[in-house]
Amino acid sequence: MPVIATYDATVSYGGRAVVRGVDLAVEPGEAVALMGANGSGKSTLVKAVVGLAPLAAGGIELFGVPQRRFRNWKRVGYVPQRTGAASGVPATAAEVVAQGRLAHRFLGLPPNRSDRAAVTRSLDEVGLADHAHCAVDTLSGGQQQRVLIARALATEPDVLIMDEPTVGVDAATQAALAEVVAARVDAGCAVLLVTHELGPLTDRLDRAVVLADGRVVHDGAPPRPVGEHADPRHQHAHPHANGDSDDFWGGK
Amino acid sequence: MTLDMSIFGFEFMQRAFISALAVGLCAPAVGVFLVQKRLALIGDGLGHIALTGVAIGFLTGGAPLWTTLATTVAASVVMELLRSHSKTSGDVALAMMFYGGIAGGVYLTGIASDKGVANLQQYLFGSLLTAGWDEVVTIAVGGAAVALLMLVLRPWMSAIATDEQYARVAGLPVAGLNLMLLMTTAVVVSVSMRAVGLLLVSALLVIPVVTVQQFTRSFRATMYGGMAAGFLIAGAGVLASAVQDVPPGATIVLIGVACFVATATAAAVVRRVRRTWRRHPPPEGEPLEVELPAGPVDGPQAAPKG
Repeated sequence: MPVIATYDATVSYGGRAVVRGVDLAVEPGEAVALMGANGSGKSTLVKAVVGLAPLAAGGIELFGVPQRRFRNWKRVGYVPQRTGAASGVPATAAEVVAQGRLAHRFLGLPPNRSDRAAVTRSLDEVGLADHAHCAVDTLSGGQQQRVLIARALATEPDVLIMDEPTVGVDAATQAALAEVVAARVDAGCAVLLVTHELGPLTDRLDRAVVLADGRVVHDGAPPRPVGEHADPRHQHAHPHANGDSDDFWGGK
Repeated sequence: MTLDMSIFGFEFMQRAFISALAVGLCAPAVGVFLVQKRLALIGDGLGHIALTGVAIGFLTGGAPLWTTLATTVAASVVMELLRSHSKTSGDVALAMMFYGGIAGGVYLTGIASDKGVANLQQYLFGSLLTAGWDEVVTIAVGGAAVALLMLVLRPWMSAIATDEQYARVAGLPVAGLNLMLLMTTAVVVSVSMRAVGLLLVSALLVIPVVTVQQFTRSFRATMYGGMAAGFLIAGAGVLASAVQDVPPGATIVLIGVACFVATATAAAVVRRVRRTWRRHPPPEGEPLEVELPAGPVDGPQAAPKG
């Protein structure tokens, strides 16, 4: 039974189909990358999988249960795209990571020992144990991304769904994230990773699904960097001067 | 200046002091989530709707407290449905509340002409000094219930206020918690507006929170600090107004605004000082994602692009 399965999934925004008839299956313990250029529909497909974008047609199942009736969300660790805007009221890294335990807690009851232990362990895993009590908006972009990943890890999920976790993140953090994710894959956690670039994270994948214009154009071995991209000294520069990227981080 | 404590010999003064302290303590407990959700003006919006509720009370002969409570809670439900199920943005819905609430209040009091609009004004600015003991009890009980609920639900409420999409994926009852937040706001506004006034209660929802968040690092500290600041600001305001014989509501709000301006200025100065001396480990540098031109660059093109 696949962890995530979509059947002929179609998502449209304002009448325009962004994802068109995608069949995707992620088996337990499998690490899959969802790749494609900006606007190819990869983020939208993931939003549909977690229920943040409505399906126009087709079906989605999580752990064999139709997504609309799925309630066991503590089996899902979700890392949303990091938004650049700082939030209003300050919160510490530990407080944000503790949100990952809310699915385990009964409404209104204080955290128990395993909740607190999971928060500490997750912060430690992403290397932010020293920053637990720092306000999140004083951390660097890469550290903020690690906080969001720690929050998903604290849920102790069976599947980790990450939307562009490497955008705007330095190489050292990318390598550290690859280690963390690989450890979870080894422990049997499935991973669905949305990315538009190859890096340390994509080296550990079993499979890559490439979307173009909302359709699957490749489903198999992860693509290898070719040409100058394969050169380890290659500087992956994004000149943003042409103004075709939507935000500061060059994401969409 | 010596403070003449003999004013507390008057019972109306005791009642005013207790009401103000209760609202000052409880309003920021709800307000911290409103500030986080960028709904800082919602208290004011619900207060305008409450005017319609007061007028309904005049018209039907019912107790204004209960008609106000019913009207504001109903309005908060409509507001939440509009926000979540239609394309109406938060500020448009808010604008409708401001205009519709005031107009409804004036229109309905016009129909119940024996009471008059002047009576409505009492609710707008409050009359802390004419509150009866039963009103003080209502404020204290309503405020305590709301504050307790918010303290117990803090992690859930802060999760939906910080990142609603994540909260949805975490399986939290987002719609229910959103509704509860607006309804508790409605309760705070309607139980306290007769005594402390619409102007004051919406200010006490927001000002203490934005004042302490200049210096706090955690959500929890902001919540407790906001409650403490609200308590102190409200108490100081009543004392100052009694000494100078001016309206307490306005005094409390002015003290709050002064505190905010002072802490915001101080925080800006402190941030500048901390740039050279940091308490927490500095964030490691992220490499530039663009290649800098080698060698000296002449002319105006030296400015970085993008």
